Amino acid sequence: MKKYLAMVPLLAGAAFLASVGVSSAEAKYTIGVSNTVQGNGWREEMICAIKAQALASGQVTKLNIAHRNTDAAGQLEDIRNLISAKVNAIVVNPADPAGIKSALEEATKAGIVVVAVDQAVTEPSAYIISNNQEQYAYLGAKWLFQQIGGKGDVVYMRGAAGASADSDRDKGFKKALAEFPDVKVVHEVFTGWQQDQGKQQILDFIATGSPFNGIWTSGIDNVIVDALVESQTPLVPVVGADNAGFVGQLNSVEGLVGAAVTNPGSIGGAGVTLALQILNGKKPAEQTVLVEPQLWENATEEGKAKLKSVADPSLSPEWPVSISIPEWTTYTKDQIIACKGPGE
Amino acid sequence: MTRLVRRQGWVAGLLVLFVVLFVITKLIQPGYGSGDFGSLVRAVLPYAFAVAAQTIVVIAGGIDLSVGAMMALTSVTAASMMDGASEEYAVFVVPFVLAMGLVLGAVNGMLIVVTRVPDIVVTLATLFVLQGAALLVLGAPGGAVAEWLRATIVGTVAIPGLPEISAWIPKALVLLVVFLCIIWIPLKRSKLGLSIYAIGSSELAAFRSGVPVARTRIIAYALSGLFAAMGGLALTMSTGIGAPIPGPYLLASVAAVVLGGVALGGGKGGLLGPIVAVFVLRLVRTDLTLLAIDPNVTAIIEGAIMVAVVMFGAFITMRSRQS
Repeated sequence: MKKYLAMVPLLAGAAFLASVGVSSAEAKYTIGVSNTVQGNGWREEMICAIKAQALASGQVTKLNIAHRNTDAAGQLEDIRNLISAKVNAIVVNPADPAGIKSALEEATKAGIVVVAVDQAVTEPSAYIISNNQEQYAYLGAKWLFQQIGGKGDVVYMRGAAGASADSDRDKGFKKALAEFPDVKVVHEVFTGWQQDQGKQQILDFIATGSPFNGIWTSGIDNVIVDALVESQTPLVPVVGADNAGFVGQLNSVEGLVGAAVTNPGSIGGAGVTLALQILNGKKPAEQTVLVEPQLWENATEEGKAKLKSVADPSLSPEWPVSISIPEWTTYTKDQIIACKGPGE
Repeated sequence: MTRLVRRQGWVAGLLVLFVVLFVITKLIQPGYGSGDFGSLVRAVLPYAFAVAAQTIVVIAGGIDLSVGAMMALTSVTAASMMDGASEEYAVFVVPFVLAMGLVLGAVNGMLIVVTRVPDIVVTLATLFVLQGAALLVLGAPGGAVAEWLRATIVGTVAIPGLPEISAWIPKALVLLVVFLCIIWIPLKRSKLGLSIYAIGSSELAAFRSGVPVARTRIIAYALSGLFAAMGGLALTMSTGIGAPIPGPYLLASVAAVVLGGVALGGGKGGLLGPIVAVFVLRLVRTDLTLLAIDPNVTAIIEGAIMVAVVMFGAFITMRSRQS
């Protein structure tokens, strides 16, 4: 017994050290979030990634989420409310790159770290962590044009007019198009990143009877394949994003050739990590951090194996399967699916 | 004084509600101060003009579903005209856009009067037309705004010697009050204003009393268009761009009109009530953000508060009538 008693101070010391260790990583920050598209699978994954990463980091006491369908003026209001709430950092997916500049400037002046995720903003003091949207479109478009033999007619189904992610993707698409002079865009539409709208648009186009050799989509993909199958149109190569539904189709729909380009919604979680790094005094070398996309296709055996390994039928079909980003997110799959933030 | 309180009972109630909410906001966030109030007013600005536009036609017994689309069209027109233009050019842009709103509103009114198609149908049709026109002007959000125009809603009005008070008077508030008053007060006191209330209350009675019903209706819609154009300008001034897709202003305007004590059947109510209602609704949104309420629940709470207030108001009115 005496022997054990002698260990008491040691244990106490260890406990003290442990408590110091815990307190240095203690939750101390409040993070505000502003998002202006509600009810979209990708954005919902982004919000859940933000919640999961805030929880997993252990450094966030509270998340203050302003998440509704609104315009740039509404986002100005939300960001200013977050400034009033005295948050330490704001993670924002901008409704417009220039339209929210004044509020972001006010936030920086108030000492708040501003991180824009998914799309760029014009405010120079804001940090940006985003998927490389230009490369996203270039990779997919180039693959598609090669797949149809370097010539033919393609349908170009874009995102939302005016969104910077859309204009960046347009640059990448045009870059690939310039490399294939015999490829023509027969139809160009904005899906607004809405599943129902995109499906209606492709059905309308199929009804015109115009021939086409391939379809490039800005992530509204599984409903396009559905439309082709339902209208019994010959399947053409389709490029989409890594949404769970589309990845599943690439594995299962007979005769469908296509490619999924990664565009992780978990970028929201990466935004939280970046914001915490800056709050802890570790600023990135560049104001803009880009996450590079990957392309998974089912035209080769190797690609098929990759697609099989990433498929995840347990996810909602509109959720990208890349639910984490190496080096940027630390939460588990259960945490992001639970979609619970600190204190919830 | 008691007569005034009785006549303006609804507005007084809303003001009390606003003050209570303000105190609650202070309790949630003790640091909530004049700068935050300035943010609130800037958020209120486009909504307030949208509500003014809606109020005037509702009082005249109609409804205008094209308010949001009209704001989008005037906003993109202003933003694209000012894009790359000189600062002085904006002096011409502002009256042009306001005149455009006035004319478009008058067209709405004329279509209703001439075709005798119900206003809900006509303005629904113009909603689509104006929305399409806005996309023609600017296919995607863009454009620019003159710096001086932007500065008119940033910061506070400086009253020499009274820094504490002037900190609570944001320029945006002054702009709002001035623009609403220069149109509303003369209108309310004129024969035209009386005619607008008259046709809203009973078109037949107004007609038999010699009110030019058609002309009054067209003017009401024209003024609504003018207010909507002001709302469009306010949007461009706050964001610095024009966006062709209309924001959530139509439904918000109807909500604030109802909350503001204007009878949807027409003929009753004023402008002050709906404007205070906008402040109440925006402050509720601020509180919900400050409290970090689950964002999927906030819309439900906003709706529930509105129904509760209107029901409570109707209950009080009924009780006072009985006594």
